[in-house]
Amino acid sequence: MPNITIDGKQISVPEGTAIMQAAEQLGIYIPRYCYHPGLSIAGNCRVCRVEIEKNPKLQIACHTPAAEGMVVYTQSPRAIAERRSVLEFLLADHPLDCPVCDQAGECGLQDFYMQFGLYDPRFEEIKIKKKKAVPLGPHVMLDQERCILCSRCVRFTDEITKTGEFGIFNRGNRSEVGLYPGKILNNPYSANAADICPVGALTERDFRFKARVWYLSSAPSVCNGCSQGCNISLQFISERPHLNNGNRVARIKPRHNPEVNDWWMCDFGRYGFGPIDEKRLTQVRHSGAESSWDKAFETISRVLNKAKQNNQGACIGVIWAANLITEELFLLREIFQEALKARLGAPVPSSGPADDFLIKADKNPNTMAAELLGLTHGPLAQEIIKEALEGRLKALWVFGVDLGNFCEAQTLHDLSQKLELFVFQGPNENQTSVSAQWVLPSAAYVEKDGTFINCHSRAQRIGRAFAPPGDSKEDWRILLGISRLLGRPKIQTNPQEIFLEMAAGIKPLQGLNYEKIGLNGAVLKKL
Amino acid sequence: MTDNTVLEAKAKEIIGRYEKPKAAMLPLLWLLQEHFGYISPEGEAWVSRHLGVAITRVREVVSFYSMYRTRPASRHNIQVCTSLPCLLKGGKETLNKIKERLGAVDGVSIEEVECLCACEMAPMAQLDEQFTGPLNDQTTALLAGRAGSPQDGPFQDLDPAPHVAADGPILSLRFKNKEGTWFDEYAGQGGYSAAKKALATMKPSEVIDEVSRSNLRGLGGAGFPTGKKWSFIPKDSPKPKYLVANADEGEPGTFKDRYILERDPHALLEGMIIAAYAIQSHKAYLYIRGEYYRPAKRFNRALKEAYAHGWLGKNIQGSGFSLEVVVHRGAGAYICGEETALLSSLEGGKGLPRIKPPFPAISGLFGCPTIINNVETLACVPFIMREGAKRFSDLGSVKHGGTRLFSISGHVARPGLYEAPVTVRLTDLIHKYALGPAQGRKIKAVIPGGISTKILTAQEMGTAMDYDCLASVGIMGGSGGIIVFDETACMLAALESATRFFAHESCGQCPSCRTGTSWIHRIVKRIAAGKGRLRDLDNLLAIARDMEGKNICVFVDAAATPVQSYISKFRPEFEEHIKNGRCASKLCPMTTPTLPRVCRTGLPAGLPSPIEGEGKSEGSNAQIAQIV
Repeated sequence: MPNITIDGKQISVPEGTAIMQAAEQLGIYIPRYCYHPGLSIAGNCRVCRVEIEKNPKLQIACHTPAAEGMVVYTQSPRAIAERRSVLEFLLADHPLDCPVCDQAGECGLQDFYMQFGLYDPRFEEIKIKKKKAVPLGPHVMLDQERCILCSRCVRFTDEITKTGEFGIFNRGNRSEVGLYPGKILNNPYSANAADICPVGALTERDFRFKARVWYLSSAPSVCNGCSQGCNISLQFISERPHLNNGNRVARIKPRHNPEVNDWWMCDFGRYGFGPIDEKRLTQVRHSGAESSWDKAFETISRVLNKAKQNNQGACIGVIWAANLITEELFLLREIFQEALKARLGAPVPSSGPADDFLIKADKNPNTMAAELLGLTHGPLAQEIIKEALEGRLKALWVFGVDLGNFCEAQTLHDLSQKLELFVFQGPNENQTSVSAQWVLPSAAYVEKDGTFINCHSRAQRIGRAFAPPGDSKEDWRILLGISRLLGRPKIQTNPQEIFLEMAAGIKPLQGLNYEKIGLNGAVLKKL
Repeated sequence: MTDNTVLEAKAKEIIGRYEKPKAAMLPLLWLLQEHFGYISPEGEAWVSRHLGVAITRVREVVSFYSMYRTRPASRHNIQVCTSLPCLLKGGKETLNKIKERLGAVDGVSIEEVECLCACEMAPMAQLDEQFTGPLNDQTTALLAGRAGSPQDGPFQDLDPAPHVAADGPILSLRFKNKEGTWFDEYAGQGGYSAAKKALATMKPSEVIDEVSRSNLRGLGGAGFPTGKKWSFIPKDSPKPKYLVANADEGEPGTFKDRYILERDPHALLEGMIIAAYAIQSHKAYLYIRGEYYRPAKRFNRALKEAYAHGWLGKNIQGSGFSLEVVVHRGAGAYICGEETALLSSLEGGKGLPRIKPPFPAISGLFGCPTIINNVETLACVPFIMREGAKRFSDLGSVKHGGTRLFSISGHVARPGLYEAPVTVRLTDLIHKYALGPAQGRKIKAVIPGGISTKILTAQEMGTAMDYDCLASVGIMGGSGGIIVFDETACMLAALESATRFFAHESCGQCPSCRTGTSWIHRIVKRIAAGKGRLRDLDNLLAIARDMEGKNICVFVDAAATPVQSYISKFRPEFEEHIKNGRCASKLCPMTTPTLPRVCRTGLPAGLPSPIEGEGKSEGSNAQIAQIV
């Protein structure tokens, strides 16, 4: 465990720790371009060089291991001067097209220029011309002139995806990053290349010219694209509806979690969050006409209470999917399984391609929670629909699932005719919402706090980015209202309180709370 | 057999030479280029399949090295060198003459290339695989006739005969054999007795000690003590060890290794056997620059002979020591002479230098302990073993033993290759060996150790040539390549050539080198185009200073050297060029007198040119601001 002093602060780090990481542990940030903690060391950008006592030359912090008694200066005049000079070389041929560059505002060149650059430019020659605005694949755009050839993208496709698309061709000042002619950057993790690009050379096509990044707010959350639960940063726009075609979610970036996804996420998750602000349900509807929560609750609770009193819970069908938060699943169990003894279906499955990295076949983010709550043994959705069509059900409540995915439009129509009560609760319009008698607008997952439990039994918090629009309410809020009307008043008023009640009764969750789950999640105790 | 099965069989054989398939990248690409004339996308896919690497990696390599062609070749290709030593002898003019004669001839392509390391025959060119020069009117006509004729094959009538030392005492003893010294003659003159002695009677550590005592220093240019380098090989490492002979001769002004490879290849091989034994390596590589076709052929012939006579292979001469030697050809990249870049290239990648530590002696080729020695260094080893360290060290200075080969080019009466003790004085090399400047001219400047070393003025030529004396006049190392400028040389032309060379050869990894070399070259070109400003000179010096000392390798430090030394030692000449335009030298790159410069903001007529008001540019900007 060598002891090392960086900028006057001392730390003891394990053998082999690079100065870069030792500094990070001390809260000292050393500028970097080519260094990325998830990739091998290239050592080519030369901007992380620091002054080390008794060493005549500055050394790269990303590769030089801490040694006993080493004294490092990251902010000495010489370190800053040399860093500034590297920056001048990096910017000499740079097009300086920040006004039309999506990276502006989160660009390593801009940031470091303002931090320690601030030199008077000496470059008066004609800049090298390279290719601009080259679409590399469905998600990534290349600008060779902005590239500083740090080789992060090359190492990413070599080491992480092992697909080897990126290369640096030619040499010297003619060096350029690109793909083999005719190849397309379409591996399932392609957009991470744009994330790790420290400059505006690789940018996301999906986000192209949508908004300047300084207009974005962000909330930590978890991807709902599959059961892996990659940690994400939801980046959204508030109060600027003229940007991003009025959509609030602007983009999703992976959030580092060494236990789940490191620095990465797949493109399906990143771009598959769906139309949050499109065809959004914002009004309670009855038979196609605007209605209100009071009227809805009154009608619905009347039907449910009647069934309860007559011990006819089996006349109530519930179709749902494991994309609700754990707290809502707990309420589903309380209300429909325990109080009403209703036909609570098994979660509607959703499956797709998988790989041995981050992409899981189970496309629902919270199946593990459904299993934990014992909710996976109910009848299939198709069975429930069949029972309804055969007249064995009086009421059907659908949470978010679009029945149109597995039955004909005519069937949906028949259901609405046959059932005494047909409720659709969800955030977006779909074929089911069109046919349902009651439409209860609910929050999209980005509008809720709560937890998902991923396929590795890790409880993770999803974060509310912004409020649900119009009259729509979070599913848990709606369920709490129903519970009250069924004579089971709950004292809980928010997901955390629901979680605590649930955790008290479910062994693997015992002792957990939102604080303990934190930003990185917590593994559940083994059953 | 069909073409395809021949290629497949060859590919299999080539891949089998290497520890890892990817290392066969360069030879497989050569195989395709030699077979088809160029490397097509199908060829790249073929290589990618055979080596199990992404096709992107193959394209990276093809595009990195300047010798790989991606379009069908012409029937004849003429590469005209215009690097500094050729430039001094009229290389540009030669290029133009060849273009005039052959520019429009079908099937002949003409390229301007960087140093081919045949500076003794400057101005020179390479017709297909054959070096030729000096190209005067007569020989240029012959070359043109040969390239223009439909016949193929080498031509004897143009074989150059520059002066080559042949009287030893160490390296040049057999250089009189223009067609090479082959096994019988070499062995007959006591060849391989040194290897026999080492293998039969000495422990590896004793060999290393002997070499250490000889004060043999690395003659590639760095001057590191060879015995010390060998001693860095960890003795207890279970990994295989490698010896690599660096024959990637590329330093402009240097052509010594070529003569060893062509005329005395067994001396090198014997040196390699001894070195490999000393570090207990059983596999050695010779990395030879791609342009060295004939040297590679001759070395391969020697290799075959050595195998046939039991000096290579298993259990050499019954000693129990085994050694395989593989020849690996480069493909046109100066940077591959840098030892870690050479390893990257040998492993089948672009020639990118690697971050150190780890040093190659600890983790080099394929991650194993590796020693890389220059050809000339290794060729000295048999002498040391045979004659003893003392005789070798006595020939040199206290810390630098032996003799070395001095490549002398440029404005001397007798350019060529000379062997002399390392303590020889530069002025003696020029005046006594190379017979001084031609036609009674005066010497203006000398580059003492290849283009990467500082230029010396005529007053500084008294220095001895051993590494320590050179260091005392501020010259670090050097390849023994001496380039002489007489009074007819133009320093702007020299700087333009030197900066072009480094901009062309930068690998492009580190920012200050990638951009710095090109930035500097662009400024010098601008000056040569008559658009220079006096402040450009200070900028050049400042940029050169800023780009130094920052990078993975020391290429950029070499690149900064000409800029700093030419400008600081010949500043008035550069100022003259900027102020008055073309100088009297035939070599001057400027075509016109300096044009009055128009300010970028559009200097209105009637204002004083900023050139005259240099240093007061703020003032003239202020004037412009007033007018605007």
